[in-house]
Amino acid sequence: MIQVFNVVKMYDGSNPVLDNISLEISKGEFVFLTGPSGAGKTTILKILFGWESFETGQVLVQGINVGKLTHRNVYTLRRSMGFVFQDYKLLPNKTVFENVSFAQEVIGHDQKKIRFKTWEALKNVGLTPKKDAYPAYLSGGEQQRIAIARAMVNSPAIILADEPTGNLDPDIAIEILKLFEELNQKGSTIIFATHSQEIMKAGNHRVINLNRGKVVSS
Amino acid sequence: MQTLISGYRTTLSNILSNKQTFLLSVATITIAISILGLFLLLFFNLNGLLSSWNREEQVIVYLDDDISSSQKENLEDIFSNNQQVESTIEVSRETAWAEFQSNVSDNLKPLLSLEFNPLPASYKIRFRSSDNRLSHIREFSKILETQQGVESIEYGEEWISRFEKFMVFSKIFLFAIGGLLSLGLILIISNTIRLSIYSRQDEIELMLLIGATPRFVKIPFLLEGMIQGLAGSVLALFIIGGVHYYLKSKFQSSIDAMGMDFQFIAEPFLFGLIGLSVLVGFMASYISTFQFLYLLNKK
Repeated sequence: MIQVFNVVKMYDGSNPVLDNISLEISKGEFVFLTGPSGAGKTTILKILFGWESFETGQVLVQGINVGKLTHRNVYTLRRSMGFVFQDYKLLPNKTVFENVSFAQEVIGHDQKKIRFKTWEALKNVGLTPKKDAYPAYLSGGEQQRIAIARAMVNSPAIILADEPTGNLDPDIAIEILKLFEELNQKGSTIIFATHSQEIMKAGNHRVINLNRGKVVSS
Repeated sequence: MQTLISGYRTTLSNILSNKQTFLLSVATITIAISILGLFLLLFFNLNGLLSSWNREEQVIVYLDDDISSSQKENLEDIFSNNQQVESTIEVSRETAWAEFQSNVSDNLKPLLSLEFNPLPASYKIRFRSSDNRLSHIREFSKILETQQGVESIEYGEEWISRFEKFMVFSKIFLFAIGGLLSLGLILIISNTIRLSIYSRQDEIELMLLIGATPRFVKIPFLLEGMIQGLAGSVLALFIIGGVHYYLKSKFQSSIDAMGMDFQFIAEPFLFGLIGLSVLVGFMASYISTFQFLYLLNKK
């Protein structure tokens, strides 16, 4: 499903953020991507998403050679994925419902389908009672649930989560992890970047450990 | 289709959330297009004035004193076979002398003491109005010059060429003004759109992250630029119309005597102004969105 071969990524031209990294993730797998700050977790997720370029190596996602994509066709890759960010990246001037439906509007679904799928996604994350609220009036856990609903609403094959529990209390973080596990059980491949030992212990999934841009253990 | 509908909605919400910048941009376009339109209005009316003067332009064919009747008939045939000739008046030597005597100025009065008539007979030829009237007069005069029995031709060559040069100069001036104003507008609108883009930077980045095509991102901004152009040009046309109405109501009676009418800008040029303004709005938005997406993709 996801294959990364000998990828090197540098920001300043001298110190590699990713240093000849290789890894493989199978379809339907749930993987924790861990390591200290600056290990390259976010960078590798951004590369898988086609948001960052890389110097050498090859990245294949569902058979798509990510390095060959241009800004004109990278959307084809992104539409098969969902991304959840640590800072949620919600639009403050849109309601919960609008934030989730926005992900379908940008890919051109019709309004009827958008309404139906948004409602389903909000039901899955338990946010239907707050569908008309604005993100600023919700807790961190609720905001992250909106982000998860937005990531899952287009039924992506892969969901990338970059420290999705980083800003949340431990109890809420476990709840969020459970939501990802439910999505995994429904067939989505999950790559969950975290440095929380509690989350990894609670999850009991494969762990890819990064340090200074290298895979330490997998 | 869905992309367009969504684009319209986003455009409206962009405009509403950046009302002040939008209105400022529309006001700038209105001023620039008004300036261009007023120059165009001036050009049209000058053109009309000069055209009415050049309608008075006629060709005078002076005849040799010993012209034969067959040569005269040949000339009259040439006049009558020419579709552009409106009227021909024959002026005999005697009539010319009598007219001269009655209209002579003081400094030419000594000529009245001549014991012979020095003036030649002539034909005064008037031409119908047409787009190529002046060039036709010039060509026709060249033909007449070669005819036997013709002493000389007078048709205001200098006036015609000056008029033509003036019109060419006016057109170049209009194009230059139009070009400079368009360039200025592109810079202003592109900056306005850039402000609009940066105010929505997070949203645009998110759109791209969740799979929006570059076209989906661009459409609302392109529409915004085009709407600015359209609104600005329509307002400018109202201003130009108002100026025209004021001038006409104030000065029409003064120019009636010249057989002239205050003209408004011809319809194709009106649509041209609107089209130019919309195109400028589109280009400015295109430049801004292109630059923004280019910088984003360079990461």
